[in-house]
Amino acid sequence: MKPIMSFVAVFLLFTIQAAAQKEIPNIEVKNLDGTSLDMNQITQEKGVKILSFWATWCVPCINELDAINEVYEDWQDETNVELIAIATDDARTKKRIKPLINGKGWEYKILLDENQDLQRALNITTIPHVIVIKDGKIVFRHTGYFPGAEDQLYDAVKKNTK
Amino acid sequence: MKKLLCLSLVLACSVAFAQNQDEEDKKDWGTLTGGFESIFQWYNDDTGLGKFAEDEHVRSNNYLKLDYNYGNWFAGIQVESYAPMPLLNYSPKLDDTGIAQYYAMYKTKKLEVTAGYFYEQFGSGLILRGWENRPLGINNSFRGGRIKYEPSNSLSFTALYARQRDGFEVSEGEIFGFNSEIDLTNVFKLEASSLSAGFSYVGRKEDIPEQVQNTGFDEMTNAFSARLDYSGNSFYSGIEYIIKSKDAVVNTQRYIENFVEPGNGFLINFGYFQKGLGVDVTLRRLENMSFFSEREASGNVFNENIMNYLPGLTKQHDYLLTNIYVYQAQPTISVPDPSLLKYGEIGGQVDVFYNFKKGTPLGGRYGTKIALNAAYWAGLRGDFNFTDRKADIDYFGFGEKYFSEFSLEVRKKWNRKWQSIFYYVNQYYNERYIVDKLGVVNSNIGVVESTYRINSRQSVRAELQHLWTQDDNGSWAGATLEFNVTPRLSFYVNDIYNYGNDVEDEQIHFYNAGGSYARGATRFAINYGRQRGGLICVGGVCRFVPQSTGLTVNITTAF
Repeated sequence: MKPIMSFVAVFLLFTIQAAAQKEIPNIEVKNLDGTSLDMNQITQEKGVKILSFWATWCVPCINELDAINEVYEDWQDETNVELIAIATDDARTKKRIKPLINGKGWEYKILLDENQDLQRALNITTIPHVIVIKDGKIVFRHTGYFPGAEDQLYDAVKKNTK
Repeated sequence: MKKLLCLSLVLACSVAFAQNQDEEDKKDWGTLTGGFESIFQWYNDDTGLGKFAEDEHVRSNNYLKLDYNYGNWFAGIQVESYAPMPLLNYSPKLDDTGIAQYYAMYKTKKLEVTAGYFYEQFGSGLILRGWENRPLGINNSFRGGRIKYEPSNSLSFTALYARQRDGFEVSEGEIFGFNSEIDLTNVFKLEASSLSAGFSYVGRKEDIPEQVQNTGFDEMTNAFSARLDYSGNSFYSGIEYIIKSKDAVVNTQRYIENFVEPGNGFLINFGYFQKGLGVDVTLRRLENMSFFSEREASGNVFNENIMNYLPGLTKQHDYLLTNIYVYQAQPTISVPDPSLLKYGEIGGQVDVFYNFKKGTPLGGRYGTKIALNAAYWAGLRGDFNFTDRKADIDYFGFGEKYFSEFSLEVRKKWNRKWQSIFYYVNQYYNERYIVDKLGVVNSNIGVVESTYRINSRQSVRAELQHLWTQDDNGSWAGATLEFNVTPRLSFYVNDIYNYGNDVEDEQIHFYNAGGSYARGATRFAINYGRQRGGLICVGGVCRFVPQSTGLTVNITTAF
């Protein structure tokens, strides 16, 4: 057991020292109409954006996106932030995406990461996971959702739009 | 073990080194990113569940993934360590520590060339999907070479040659794959809608054992798939058809003598949406469509060597009691005895999402959201002649009913502090055909979940669940209480109790308590309690786990 623990310890020690991943990898994702899109097309745009990794079957993800949806207009008016909800649903559940977002009346841009290539490249193991990018660079990340996390997220957005 | 420690030191140093260089600026040394996940479990003896009868009470699964990028060049490794043994019911092939995967890739706008291990999916995965899911112990990635070429925005081609990952090795079969995606939107000058087509080929070549030669199938099994997808302003539809050439039927890892069948699959999906309303319908028929990179892997319980992706098309639930009787797709031909003949499955599901607007009687102040799902799955109707080893299968015939489900979810926000979810599920689950136990299970499940926001940072969430049934192990009751101290720190307790079990000793409480802390891309979670034995399912794929009691620590981070 000891070697494993030291393996873990050594690694955590160094990763805490090392600065976090700053770039969004240029992975191909899909629009809802099935056309493909490189992440560069998003990261090359100026401004602050929220990338939210979710799935139709993930209850906390939907709670988070529902909570943000209620204040999204205010957020956009104040900071011009754009939320891009990246669905990690695979073939089993991806067909639920379109009816679900319409049923809920979400105004987000929706992308599809069907075989989780982008999720994997960003080393996201659990969802919901939000990433705030400014001019294409990662400035904030958070895993999991509990009520109130959307306020923290918005603080991060405001800090970076000043 | 020492090797591993050295390796992690070197890698960790190189992370720090790369980052330092980064900060010094100017010189570009490329970027190194990665992720680390560790799941550590200590199984203890529990008077309620009995002694822990396996080797090694302390076990862990560890994954370290590193990716390096310099200009158009990419390379990476995944180190995995299962020490001293993998967690309960992970494949015994995962018994080592070392570099499990590696790759190098060159990528430009139009061309991508990969050597080493890679993940891939053609279309919806019906014909080919290599993927990873750690909680399920699945890593069906491919090792070989792959070329992707996109001559224009509307054309994309993929060709690959590989063998499939199998523990720390690769499996026997050689895999040949070709895929094309063609965007027809411009060809038909569509303005407000899009149309695309796809064609795929997958071949699997594996030596035939001496004793089953000359029975009418080849080393090479060929599968072809064609798809067409349309997406408009408020309507969309898709269709996919797949055929697989004649191959030996293998059940529970044994060849059935002189039994050779082709396979096919058919998937239709369409839906309608407008603001506040969404409807989706999916229908599927699968006949002998399981496809393994090694024939004799058919029926293995660890989901190894599976080349395609055939999820159960039902709603994926997220509550403890709604996940006891989970449908799994039944794509396989199996003929163990005349009373249990299976050729495949046929059925479908419907989803409706609706939002009662704010200010209407049912909508109230914040609106009311409902989600409805109905699913029905049956076996294909057919006959099997045991003397000639010949199956006669109807195309649109519904045979034995396997599963049906109706569920309704209502989400309601009462005021700024309170919100609730009401969930009702009615299930029919044919245990005889799905999990090879006796009988069927008719059940009703109700869940009420409420969240109360104490202030802008703190909240409490409570869940009450109940499963009513006279069948199988009888009724269950469950509850969860969660206290979110801050949006980063949370604690919970839950319990599910099988009080309706006829056997008094098996009226067990499966209780759990734990907490989690998340900061940035790092998450730390700790849990102590009892794991219910049975199927653990993610994304329609299930893994059987025995019941156990113990302490679990989970660390994930990305850098």
